[in-house]
Amino acid sequence: MTIYQKFVLFVTLTASALLSGNSYAQTDSVSLEPVNIKGFVPEKFMSGLKIQQIDSATLYTYKFQNISELLSVFTPIAFNKYGPGQLTTAFFRGTSANHTAVLWNGLNINSPILGQTDFSTIPVAGFDALSVQFGSASSIVGTDAVGGSILLSSIPQNQTNEASVAGQIESFDNYQMQLAARYHSVLNEKWSISGKTSGYFNRMNNHFPYRERREYALLPAEADQKGLIQDIFLTSKNDQEISAHVWLTGNKLVTSPANLAGRELTLTEAYRTMLRYRIRDLTLRTAWVRDVIDYAKGDFKNVDHAVTDKFSTRAEQDFTWNLNNLGSNIYVKAGAEWTHYRTSVAGYEKPLITEDRADIYLLTRWQANRRLVVSLNLRQALVTGYNPPFTPSIGSEYQLFQRNSYQLKLKGSLARSYRVPTLNERYWAILGNPDIKPESGWNKEIGLEQSLKSTFGDVFTASITGYHNRVKDWTYWNPMKNYRVENLQQVLARGLELQLSWRRDFGAAKSGLNFNYAWNKSVQEKAYDAYSVDVIGKQLRFVPLHSAGLNTFFQYKNMRLTAQVQSVGKRYITFDNSTFLKEYALVHLIGEVTIPLSAVYLRVQGQINNVSNTFYLNTQNNAMPGRSFAINMVAAFRKGPKRLPILEN
Amino acid sequence: MKKQLSGLLFFAAFSVLVSSCDQSDPEPKGDYTAGVFVLNEGNFFQNNGAVSFFTREQTTADPDIFSKVNGSALTGGVQGYAAIGEQGVILVDNANAGMDKVEFVNSNTFQRQGTIGAPDIENPREVVVAGNKAYVSCWGSNADYTYATGYIAIIDLNTKKVTNKINIASGPENMVFAGGKLFVGTVSDGGGKTLTVIDAATETIAKPIVLDGSVTPIGLDANGKLWVGAGLKAVRIDPASYAVENTLTISADSRKFAGHFAFTSDLKSVVYTLSYYDANFVAHGETYKFGIADTQISLATPLIKRVFTGLAVDPSQGLIYAGVTPSYAQAGYAVRYRADGTLVDSIKVNVAPTGFFFK
Repeated sequence: MTIYQKFVLFVTLTASALLSGNSYAQTDSVSLEPVNIKGFVPEKFMSGLKIQQIDSATLYTYKFQNISELLSVFTPIAFNKYGPGQLTTAFFRGTSANHTAVLWNGLNINSPILGQTDFSTIPVAGFDALSVQFGSASSIVGTDAVGGSILLSSIPQNQTNEASVAGQIESFDNYQMQLAARYHSVLNEKWSISGKTSGYFNRMNNHFPYRERREYALLPAEADQKGLIQDIFLTSKNDQEISAHVWLTGNKLVTSPANLAGRELTLTEAYRTMLRYRIRDLTLRTAWVRDVIDYAKGDFKNVDHAVTDKFSTRAEQDFTWNLNNLGSNIYVKAGAEWTHYRTSVAGYEKPLITEDRADIYLLTRWQANRRLVVSLNLRQALVTGYNPPFTPSIGSEYQLFQRNSYQLKLKGSLARSYRVPTLNERYWAILGNPDIKPESGWNKEIGLEQSLKSTFGDVFTASITGYHNRVKDWTYWNPMKNYRVENLQQVLARGLELQLSWRRDFGAAKSGLNFNYAWNKSVQEKAYDAYSVDVIGKQLRFVPLHSAGLNTFFQYKNMRLTAQVQSVGKRYITFDNSTFLKEYALVHLIGEVTIPLSAVYLRVQGQINNVSNTFYLNTQNNAMPGRSFAINMVAAFRKGPKRLPILEN
Repeated sequence: MKKQLSGLLFFAAFSVLVSSCDQSDPEPKGDYTAGVFVLNEGNFFQNNGAVSFFTREQTTADPDIFSKVNGSALTGGVQGYAAIGEQGVILVDNANAGMDKVEFVNSNTFQRQGTIGAPDIENPREVVVAGNKAYVSCWGSNADYTYATGYIAIIDLNTKKVTNKINIASGPENMVFAGGKLFVGTVSDGGGKTLTVIDAATETIAKPIVLDGSVTPIGLDANGKLWVGAGLKAVRIDPASYAVENTLTISADSRKFAGHFAFTSDLKSVVYTLSYYDANFVAHGETYKFGIADTQISLATPLIKRVFTGLAVDPSQGLIYAGVTPSYAQAGYAVRYRADGTLVDSIKVNVAPTGFFFK
């Protein structure tokens, strides 16, 4: 268990203890406890890699935020954001927007045509659990996991029936609405069912009371975001589980809406469905995802339509060998996945493109003794027409100190990564290149994690990680060739990440703090023409050299005050670093009170975003909004309403 | 970005010559009273265009003088700049609808003096100034890319307001002001072949002149004749009678594109680029020169064996200024050549230099 998992568990425990007096039956385990390898994402095979779990109390606090807001505070991921409800892309560990895998219940949901996720379409309300895996994990999760992975999951619960309604009113005539129902029932002696149905609707009018800030215009934009989530888990006592998952999202963005001739519409829809069956050590999963992007201008009559269907089927078999009585064992997961793509995009050479991809993989985790864990993972991806490189990784964790009050762990990983070119990169008429090579990289990292408990009940955790990630055949829409795609660049991303946390229980009061800082140096290494000399060794565009985040809270009984700082360093906007956007820091305050009544559990929260009214610009040179306010209320109706909500979203 | 500024450059140079003869004016004050202004389009999606500046003696440029003076950027590609007296007019093209503008500056200090935005100004392309008026060619909203919404916006420089709009089909682009008339060409993508003549006094269209190809007015030569690029031809027109007096074929190769026309400082020759894109979308071609008295254009000896994203001639020194854009994601260069095509030096400017203004 990583310190983050411990931290998460700790927060969950303390939060639940505070609000309900109950606590979960889970215990903080050392690594010899049985390891769950049956979840959506095989995090247990990521030994040596850094994984950060965001606890459910934090997700609850951020219930009305976009995932990028949350990750900007808790992780060093830099987000490129165009405005509220507008395109938001991630720059993880010095890589580009194409180098972060986003997994929903283990399935990569990056747009197959773009190879990235627009994080403005992912509200925190859309999932139950969130963890972030740093560094290359292509051997474990497949393509795109070069800078890191963002793992979203649904979680079964077997404790309660509840319904909740929630709404938020914000500055700029923006509002949000969320409805959710969670249910659980025992069907017969063997089987029980649990599930969640939830929906959200957000309307962002972005009626800013000013047209510009410091002579920089704000881009007028209206966005409608809606989503529907359905999870059903059927669980049997004889080690079987059937689950079905649906996540539908629709995002309608209109920029410059008042300009009837020039306004632009971007409609992004995703239909994500998954069926999963597990019997003992065999897991079968099938999924269908449809991504639709419609773009139109002016009267919206001529719509550029892009639709991509992805059919994915996967089988995994787990094996376990106990090597001795002291808990030494080997876990192995062998899997095969086949994915079929059908895509129809207005700009492609052919009206319908199909492509098949397959992956075979073998993941192993060897618990050598109480101190040492080693993972060796192997993957070979196969793609119509050509194949990405064989992708191995090896990672290890070693407990240097393992006492109750102090633990220190050394971890390291060496991993190959790859990225299958996006469908746009292969099939876009003229500018695409069907023969473009997959990117291939090697990521090396080493880190120390420590956890210290004081005699006063303080818990300190700290981690420091250094990484070195070189990516070859980096794909580039070459602006010198009218944006024709090429494998031009070679990029070396290096960095150091520091994370600190502190938590203390003062009886009726609690307090905690999380801090992260990252230094990401990401440079192009190869020249390809006379003028690229100007860009060799220069920091990549939009990747801040320094970034930091701080989250601190103070809780007294049912009231909690949270302060957050997002700090983004100077970002160059040109490859030769000749021009840049200035560094900035945003401060947000959140105050909330929970009111457990007899039949309903209420939470009222007020937010002040960008408290200091900081002026900053996005990469389109548009001003971002200043100080804003939001107030929201959650009413959860349930049996035993005084209990903390089990899963907040 | 098939555009060039020779028309306005010629006129601007002419107006500078005229104003410099006026000895009663006090010496202008400011950091930018004399030198070379480089117009950088920037990266369209980043709205990071800028005006760079250097004096003729300098070998390094101030990459963004508007930001330096005013503390905030222009927030769009710089499509054009013209100045008369202390009045400077910058065209700013933003990637988002309704956010284009004309930015007025003091031409000597570059201090912001005011703006005009949408709907008066949408997709501005070029500007020329004459008297107390600025003429701005605009594509309008052009949402369907059919170039049907274009117009010339006429701005009163005293009130800084658009006083009239004259509709022009096919995407109005380069303009030449001469003898009380505005000659308007169109962008090659617009498909038009008409040189439109606007009478400045009545602000009405005096005459459409149909030519054989996409029309780019270049300027008046040493004999007062108007030269116009028409597709792969160069055409000499009498600006009074509108008669086509001479037609020179630049190239018969229809893959190629002739552009970036500019008069040499003696107004007796025209430099231009002849370029094409290969299958990999790499621009190839050369820069050539022809004389106004030539009976035919020879492509035997290029003036400079490369193509540029902008081309202009400094009327006071006669040096050729060429814009080099390595990519839309890094700073470009202003490269100086002597009139015979030999290289002088190269000055780093800002992203995508496409035009020059000499003062």
